[in-house]
Amino acid sequence: MNQIATDYPFAPVSAAEAAERYRAIAADRPMTKVTMPFGGDAWVIHRTEAARAMLGDPRFVREPFRTGERVVPYFVEFPEFLRQTLQFEDPPHHTKLRRLVQKAISPKQVRAMRDSAVAYANSLIDEMVAKGDTADLVHDYALPLPIQMLCNLLGVPPEDHDKFEKWASSTLAVAGMSEDDVVANMAELYMYVVELIQLRRREPLDDLISSLANARDKDDTLTDEEILPIAMLLVVAGFDNTANFITTGIASLLQHPAQLELFLTDPDGLAPTATEETLRHGRFSLGIPVAGGGALVPFVATEDVEIDGQLVAEGEAIMIDPGATAHDGIALPDAERFDITRQNNPQLTLSYGLHHCLGAPLARMEMQVALAELFKRLPQIRLTSTPVINHDHLSQPITRLDATW
Amino acid sequence: MPKVFYTQPDGTVVAVAASPGDSVMATAVRNGVSGVVGQCGGSLSCATCHVYVDEAHRDELGTPGEDEDEMLDCTASDREDSSRLSCQLIIGEGDVHVTVPPEQL
Ligand code: FES
Repeated sequence: MNQIATDYPFAPVSAAEAAERYRAIAADRPMTKVTMPFGGDAWVIHRTEAARAMLGDPRFVREPFRTGERVVPYFVEFPEFLRQTLQFEDPPHHTKLRRLVQKAISPKQVRAMRDSAVAYANSLIDEMVAKGDTADLVHDYALPLPIQMLCNLLGVPPEDHDKFEKWASSTLAVAGMSEDDVVANMAELYMYVVELIQLRRREPLDDLISSLANARDKDDTLTDEEILPIAMLLVVAGFDNTANFITTGIASLLQHPAQLELFLTDPDGLAPTATEETLRHGRFSLGIPVAGGGALVPFVATEDVEIDGQLVAEGEAIMIDPGATAHDGIALPDAERFDITRQNNPQLTLSYGLHHCLGAPLARMEMQVALAELFKRLPQIRLTSTPVINHDHLSQPITRLDATW
Repeated sequence: MPKVFYTQPDGTVVAVAASPGDSVMATAVRNGVSGVVGQCGGSLSCATCHVYVDEAHRDELGTPGEDEDEMLDCTASDREDSSRLSCQLIIGEGDVHVTVPPEQL
């Protein structure tokens, strides 16, 4: 066994070397036991097939994290308010809540939202063009698009969009706010959502908060305490990640001229596969060092389970590293290449199984629209400086992407 | 061994040998049949495994349960009388013919 194959997690190295290491580690074993900075040991899975097997197996649950029986093994202390959300619920309660939200962001609903996303993307481009021939694509494009879509989905009235954006973006990695400001903004956002729920209970409209507030389950309606965490999860997960994915997609294309040239031949046709490739390849496209360690939220084994030859004992925690599984060299042979035409793209960035991302159809649609519209309108667009990245934050988002056209 | 025949939106047909007891979704995903996504791994919460079932087997494959019926209203391509979520279609001894819809996501 060589040294490369044993080292996980690993500190930032060049993208090419990171891909090499991931391949070697996956060839060596399906998972590694890692001692996390918080919450003790957890298995981290490197192989796509092993990851799918785990994520599709109901013997892995999240309940002990939600009840506080166990600390979430993770790279940072896992925020309390996120531990109360849908992603830490198990069936059957999870199923009931999830179904209600699912309908509002199902593939069918999202298809109906596409036209408004296209219109909004174009109005953002109009504004950028009206201001001159340069822009910061994070603040002028990648961030406002998902925020607008989220406001529409939740039912935030148009006159409140600005306030909502300010509060919601304080939860964002890119905001760079002080701890106190974040807490104050979060409290305001909470109160706002509580009031919105009450308003929509009295005066329902055709939006998600209304349908949650007025959903009649067989036995009961949902309480505010049940609706609030769902709304907060959508706020937090709904645009920080999407904005980050959009920015990564734009930056990746701008940094791969041959792929961009190809994309420009048919932006609408290639947007779906370019989106999947962005989700898979992630930070590997940006030409910056990549560290081996990123991971989705863990599960706990309720009994001894063998996965891909490795015994996971009852009570042990386990998670997947989507960066590793996307570069395991087994599911995908030439994983280091950024290829927007890839048809077989088994990425797990949006997870898989019971907890696969509820907003996946919406996130995908927004990414597709954002990429296609920007490059259709401004095909000559190019970067004026290297992307600015916030390395202090767990998700290491791109906080500035300066471009000209 | 039973076979599942997946007709793609362009009319091409992919035939895959299947094991009784497996679902039409799992069989497709395992064999890389395009157009069947199955993001939730068969837990009836993504509607990305939508297929149209051939008239000939509708009876043997039963009718959608309540939960499946609800999720069928969420599919990206239009729901039809023959619509099913393929993670709920369990393969028996005989062959199964399904058509993959144009859009899943
Ligand atoms: S695989 Fe998700 S509903 Fe069938």
